[in-house]
Amino acid sequence: MKKITGIVFIFIVCAVLSLTGCSNAGSRKNTFTFATWAAGVELQEFNEIINRVNQNADGKYKIEVLSVPSDYYIKLSTNIAAKKAPDFFWLTQELISKYAKMGAIADITDKLESSSNLTREQYYPGVLQSAIYEERCYGLPWIANPLIVFYNQDLFDEAGIPYPSPDGGWTWEEFIDIAKRLTTTKEDAFGNNYKQYGYVVDGWPNIETFIWAGGGDIIAENGVDVLLDSQESISGLAILNKILKAGISPSYSEVSSLGSNNVWFEKQRAAMFMGGIQDNFETKVNAMPENEQFRIGYAPMPVGLDNRSHSFNWTASTVMSKQVADNPLAYEIMETITLEFFKWKIAPPIKGEIDQVAKINPLKEPALDTIQICLNNARSANYVPEWNEINNSLWLKLYSKMLNDPDFDYESEAKAIAMEARELIAKRK
Amino acid sequence: MKKSKVGFLFILPWLTGLVLFTVIPIIAALFISMTDWSIIGDANFIGLENFKAIFEDQMFYKTLLITVRYAIFAIPLTIFTALLVAISLNNQYKGTGVFRTIFYMPSIVSGVAVAIVFKWILDPNYGVLNSLLGILGVTGPNWLYDPDWVLPSYLIMAIWGASGGLYIYLAALKDIPKELYESATIDGAGLIHRIRYITLPMLTPILFYNMVIGIISAFRKFTDAYILGGAGEEGIFYMVYLYGQAFSFYKMGYATALAWILFVIIFSLTLIVNYTKKYWVYSE
Repeated sequence: MKKITGIVFIFIVCAVLSLTGCSNAGSRKNTFTFATWAAGVELQEFNEIINRVNQNADGKYKIEVLSVPSDYYIKLSTNIAAKKAPDFFWLTQELISKYAKMGAIADITDKLESSSNLTREQYYPGVLQSAIYEERCYGLPWIANPLIVFYNQDLFDEAGIPYPSPDGGWTWEEFIDIAKRLTTTKEDAFGNNYKQYGYVVDGWPNIETFIWAGGGDIIAENGVDVLLDSQESISGLAILNKILKAGISPSYSEVSSLGSNNVWFEKQRAAMFMGGIQDNFETKVNAMPENEQFRIGYAPMPVGLDNRSHSFNWTASTVMSKQVADNPLAYEIMETITLEFFKWKIAPPIKGEIDQVAKINPLKEPALDTIQICLNNARSANYVPEWNEINNSLWLKLYSKMLNDPDFDYESEAKAIAMEARELIAKRK
Repeated sequence: MKKSKVGFLFILPWLTGLVLFTVIPIIAALFISMTDWSIIGDANFIGLENFKAIFEDQMFYKTLLITVRYAIFAIPLTIFTALLVAISLNNQYKGTGVFRTIFYMPSIVSGVAVAIVFKWILDPNYGVLNSLLGILGVTGPNWLYDPDWVLPSYLIMAIWGASGGLYIYLAALKDIPKELYESATIDGAGLIHRIRYITLPMLTPILFYNMVIGIISAFRKFTDAYILGGAGEEGIFYMVYLYGQAFSFYKMGYATALAWILFVIIFSLTLIVNYTKKYWVYSE
C-alpha cells in the first residue's frame, strides 16, 4: 500500500508542477509580450507595426504579440492572477484606476516626465487625464475618439433647415429644436409610411454627455466627491429627459430592432447622430448604391448650460506590467510602439497632428476643422476604481429606466445612486 | 499485486483530475469567500465580511427574487411540457421519429445561438411572436424591453427548450409494463385514468430526478440571461449578478461567497424535495 501511496503522491505532484509556471526575470529580459484585443484586419495592421518596431530594434529587443480577441479582460486578469501578465497591454480608460489601485500596472510618471520623445504637454489634456490616477500616470493613450455630431445634409436641405456651424456654438435647446423639425413621417418606395427621426439615443451617447451638458459630473476630479445628485447634474438629466419626451428619437426597443443606433443614421432614418470621430460613415456611404448615398455634415457637440461644449472621448492606453517596470528597455519600447500607433489610429491623441487624420482616412478631410474642435473639447469621466459598479447602476437603475419610461423619476434615482456611490468610495482602502 | 490495488491504479488518472479540478477548487473557493481577493491583487483574510455584506446588499435579494420567481414557474412548466410531449410521442405512429428529433433539437443547440434567435423572435417591432399576435389582432407587448414582460419572455424560452428531458421520459414510459394498461383497459379505465393512475405514478422517480435537475438549472440560469438581459434590472438573474461581481467588478471573494450561498440554497431545496419523496415517489 505504501508503494501505491507513493505513486499517487508523485503523480499529483507532477500534475501540480505541470500547471505552475516559472517566473520571468522581468528586469533583465529583452523579449517582451504585448497583449491586444485586436482581431482580423486590425490585428494584421497591429502585427505590421510590431514587426516594423522589431526590425528597427535590430536585435536590441523583441516584442511578441498576444492576441486575445474575446473575453479580453477576463483572460488578462486571470493571467495577471497567475503571475503571467503580458509585459504590455491595452487597457481601456475606465479600468486604468482600478488596475493601478490593484497594483497590476506600473507607474510611468517619472519616465514620462524625463522623456523628450513623447511629453505630457504633447497630449490633449482631456485625453491624458484618463491615464492618471491619484496624480500619477499609468498609461500612454494611443487614440482619441471624441464625440462629434454627424448630420445628413440632404435631410436638412429637404426640411429647409440651415446647417449647424462647423465651428459649433449651437445649444442643446437649438439641437432639440432642429431635431424636432427633422422628425417627420415619410413614405418609402413601396408606399409604406415610416418615421424619420431627428436624432437617435438608446444608451448611446453615454449618460456623461447629458450630465456634462447640465454643467454637472458624476465624480469630481479629486476622485472622491460624488456630484451625480448636484443641481447641475440633475439639469443635465433633464435635457436627456426632454429629448426622450420630445419624440425626436426612436424608442429604445425600436432602435434595437434595426440592429444598432448608427444604422439609423446610415439608413437615413435619423438625421443626426452623435458618434466618435473615428466612426466611418463616409466610407460606408461611399459604398452605397448612388440613389442611397447622402452628404454628411459635421458639427461639434452642442454647448451646455455651463457654456461649454463637451465631447466625451473614448480612449485606450498602452500600459506596462509591474513585473517589467525595472527593465531599462521597457519604457523605451512602450513609447516607441505608442508613437507608431499615432500614425495608425484616428485620431492621434497628441496636438498638432490633425493632418494625420486625413492621411489615415482622406474622406475625413472636410471634417478636419470640426474634429480639431472636438479634440480640444475632449474629456473623459473621472474614472475611479469603483467606476464599473457606479456605471452599472447608472445604466440599470437610471438610464435604461429613463429610456423605457419618459415619466421615470430620474431625480430620486440619481440621488439614490449618488448615495450608493458615496458608500462604495468610502470603503476604498 | 492485489486486484483492489490494480483497480485503484486504473482510477488514478480520474482521481487525480477530481482532486485537482474539483476538490481543491471547492476548498479554495471556501477560503476565497473569506477574503477580499480581486483576482489581480493579493488576498486578505476578512472572515465572514463578504457574507455579511451580501446579506445587506439589496441586489442580492433582488436577483435572488428574480431567480426564485423564474424557478417557481419554469420548473413545473418545463416538466409538464416535456411530459406532455413524451406521452404524445410514446406511441409509434408514422413520422414519430421525425417529431422526436424535432422536439429534441433544442437540447443540442448552443445556448448562445438560442438566445440570439429569441432576441429576434421576441423583438417588439419586427419579431415573429408579435407579428403572429398582430395577425390575431393583438398588440404584442414589449417583451424584454418591458419590466413586466421580462419573466414571461424567459418562460417562453424555457418552454421551447423543455423537451431536453424528453428521452428520459420516453425511456421511462417504455419501462411501464403493458399488462398494467391492458388490465386497466379491461376494467374500463379511459385515457385520463390510465395516465392518472398508471403512467404518472410509474414516472414519479423520473419526475423526482427532473425536478432536482430543474431546480439546479433554474438557479444556475446564465447563458441566455447574460446575452439578452432585460428591462432595467429584471434580467439580472443570480448567476449573472455573481458573474458580474467576479469579472466586471473584480470582487472574486464576494462572488465566491455568493456562489457558496447559491450552493446552500440549491442543496437545501434538494434536501427538501428528497424529504418529500416518500409522500409522492412510487418505488417498487
